[in-house]
Amino acid sequence: MNNLSMAFKNLRKNFSFYALYLLSVSLVITVYFAFTSFSMNSVMLEKISGDGRVESMCNIISVFLVAFVIFYMSYSNRFFLRRRTKELGIYALLGYRKSKMLSLLVSENFLIGCGSLIVGLVLGAIMHKGIVYGTTVLLNLSINNAEIHFFKLNAIKNTVVFIFLIMCVMAISNALFLFRTSLMDLVRFEKSAEKRMKFKKAPAIFGFILIIVGYGLALDIFRGSDSLWFTVGFYPTGLLTAMLIVVGTVLFIASFLPFAVQKSKRHKKTFYTETKIVTAPNFIYRIRSNAKTLIMLTLLSAATLTVSSVMALSLFYPIAAVARIAPSELEFRIEEEGQLNNATLLVSQNTSDDSVTYIQTDIYKVTASAEKLPMEYSVGTSKGSADNENILREAGFECISYSQYISLLQAQGRNDIAGKLSVLQDDECILVKYQPNADGSDETGSIYSLNINNGNIPLTVKATTLNNPISFANSVGTMIVSDNVYEQIKSGTALESSIISINGEVIEDNEKLFDDMSNLLNNSPYLQGHSHKVNEIMSASSSTFLLIGFLVVLFFIATGSILYFNNISAVSDSKADYEILSKMGYSNRKLKKILRKQVLTFFSIPFLFGLIDCIFATIVYKTGLMQNLLGNTITLYFPTMIAVALTALIYLIYYFLTVHTCYKTVLKD
Amino acid sequence: MSTLLEAKEVTKIYGKAGHPSLNKVSFRVAEGEFIGIMGASGSGKTTLLNVLSTIDTPTSGDIWINGVNLKNLNHTSAADFRKDNLGFIFQEYFLLDSLTIRENISVPLTLQKLPPKKIENMVRSLAERFGIASQLGKYPHELSGGQRQRASAARAIVKQPSILFADEPTGALDSSSATELLNTLYEANQELHTTILMVTHDVYAASFASRILIFKDGCIIKELAKHGSNRRDFYDAIAAEAARLDTER
Repeated sequence: MNNLSMAFKNLRKNFSFYALYLLSVSLVITVYFAFTSFSMNSVMLEKISGDGRVESMCNIISVFLVAFVIFYMSYSNRFFLRRRTKELGIYALLGYRKSKMLSLLVSENFLIGCGSLIVGLVLGAIMHKGIVYGTTVLLNLSINNAEIHFFKLNAIKNTVVFIFLIMCVMAISNALFLFRTSLMDLVRFEKSAEKRMKFKKAPAIFGFILIIVGYGLALDIFRGSDSLWFTVGFYPTGLLTAMLIVVGTVLFIASFLPFAVQKSKRHKKTFYTETKIVTAPNFIYRIRSNAKTLIMLTLLSAATLTVSSVMALSLFYPIAAVARIAPSELEFRIEEEGQLNNATLLVSQNTSDDSVTYIQTDIYKVTASAEKLPMEYSVGTSKGSADNENILREAGFECISYSQYISLLQAQGRNDIAGKLSVLQDDECILVKYQPNADGSDETGSIYSLNINNGNIPLTVKATTLNNPISFANSVGTMIVSDNVYEQIKSGTALESSIISINGEVIEDNEKLFDDMSNLLNNSPYLQGHSHKVNEIMSASSSTFLLIGFLVVLFFIATGSILYFNNISAVSDSKADYEILSKMGYSNRKLKKILRKQVLTFFSIPFLFGLIDCIFATIVYKTGLMQNLLGNTITLYFPTMIAVALTALIYLIYYFLTVHTCYKTVLKD
Repeated sequence: MSTLLEAKEVTKIYGKAGHPSLNKVSFRVAEGEFIGIMGASGSGKTTLLNVLSTIDTPTSGDIWINGVNLKNLNHTSAADFRKDNLGFIFQEYFLLDSLTIRENISVPLTLQKLPPKKIENMVRSLAERFGIASQLGKYPHELSGGQRQRASAARAIVKQPSILFADEPTGALDSSSATELLNTLYEANQELHTTILMVTHDVYAASFASRILIFKDGCIIKELAKHGSNRRDFYDAIAAEAARLDTER
């Protein structure tokens, strides 16, 4: 029998054993091929990246991707080689030469490689088509689908060569393993790892302390400008925190967990139970040989969760912030006479619907005196504090009337906010904040004395709000005053600006209208549009997210399948243990409980650690690196929660799959 | 003495119309007996042990242990029955590798939900009797074959089962370890009145029993009883019978 047919028979006989290997390698190739096809898709790249940004990102990500595929495939190869050492030992006893065994392994890997390659190329091509379709719909691109081929020859060549190279490297690594291992070791390989575990107190406690210090340092960011993140610097502190947590995690898993479980055995009441007496020692036993894998999985899962959470947050945040940056569908400042008429005409050319509202808001700027004026009063008045240093503003409150505020909110569809407001008295005002004060203080109750021609008007801040009715491009330091006070101000102050806000469902998401309006207004920087801003953010960031998405999916496949392999392997190794437990009188129900507990522990360590790391990393990212336009609302974390929930779901699916296979491996019925 | 186990016309056929592994086997075991089951490979010894211990079901016939007809047990009640009534010793020890010897011996007691203090006391006193008290904190791979098998015997006996099934318990042991183990089983039988059913190839091991059932082709072909004679004489009797069977082959 030649090697190839022997390998083929081997694969066919052990189909269930190899099926998952084949499937997981196929999935990795699928993602790799889809990514390669995408990064070589010139039609698509032309549309989503004018400046070569996406191309350079593709290059960076492809480095990660290549490193990852190599790591994953060599891990699976090593794993399956270990599982077969006993069989190889028998071949050796039968008189097989090592070169013959090697060629058998290479033939098997070749068959699996070819199988996964075919599956991977087909699925990858489908995935690529799906991504192109999804992006086209999402970004409203006009792409001729016929121009994008199902299979791109260059991408196939690239993938085939790459996988072939990996298989060569694996063959060399298998050769090294075979020629270095003696016959005795081959036969006894699975038993050779038995060494007694030592429980060292010092590294266990040190690991625990490092993690606590790391998380403490992360929380330090809440101290604001006094925190190490600001005094020492964001990046050095971030690096220190990451290092503390990584080293802490390593020691925690390798030393603290077994130490703690060993200590927990002293609590006899809980230890001497039918499940715990088996699961606790088993955990210690397994962690001894699997600490490295578990640490790697934990760090991988922390990275995956953090990346997906931060990604979700950084996509959602700017879109949510558009409500503040551009509250109206279209908004501009009247800079020339006749602009309003022309704009109205333009809108009516686009739609015949009369539900479109036009609101003109006249803003009056008033100086004020007080013990302490809010930050918004003088923001943007000097170089360094202004976003656009060419347009400096003068200090002052920009006043609008209460009824204008209500009408604007209603026109913008924010009836719920408008409905909650009560009429302002003449000595009251509402202050629109740019962002919440960093120290958590609030101006409510402060008294500002407005200076107008005929004297002072003292106003008490009834409330502060983040619901600005006019974009920041057109008004900062907006103050809402009662209609009477507004009239008083109007009579004694020069007009600052007149803002036109145009709203209506029928003009939403109309890029052409926005472009025409921009031309009409000579590309005025004061023109703001809600849908336009959302589209702008989507097209600027979606390619980035798409590319990072590739990595996240790959990480998930890796974490899940490594956990699966690891658990199945541990359970098959201890199959005899379950048999004896069954003979002792453990019912199938009890054995299932033991299996579930064992698998759950190994799944929950990477997930829970990953989750905690992700929560702290997201807090630091949000507090340290993001603007605080929206305040600290829980809705902001909604996408993060969805990302975490999705991750949990993927883990759960893998968990149930693993448990199911474990049941099948161990239980007879 | 009262009957503890009764097998009546027990037949086991694997496959559809295969040769019966057990062919209408009937016998009784009284409480406190030490029975040896002998026979060549394929004579039906292991099949008998499997059907007696609820791990397999006979094709026909009835088995009663402690008055319970095993036929009436489903999967879960069979597990409970094993938990409460049966103990096992195997040739390969089958200790749980990840558990210490103390934990290994404790497992059957935790299954019976005994309080921890009582479990520890029972384990300690039995370990002392079996000469492995100083090994309790060790793991199976740190022990010699003989010590492992004694630990395995302690695990089987600790819950004081109605009957102990031993499948070639000395098969993997050197002669002195085998003698130690057999003495331990003999003492357990004599002092703790544990009923033992031991399958063995070895005439020496069989001579520790009080009665021998010899199997061939799924049937009991001969029964030998010690009847007060000493172990040496019983050994000679079994050896003579074994020699006779050998010439008949």
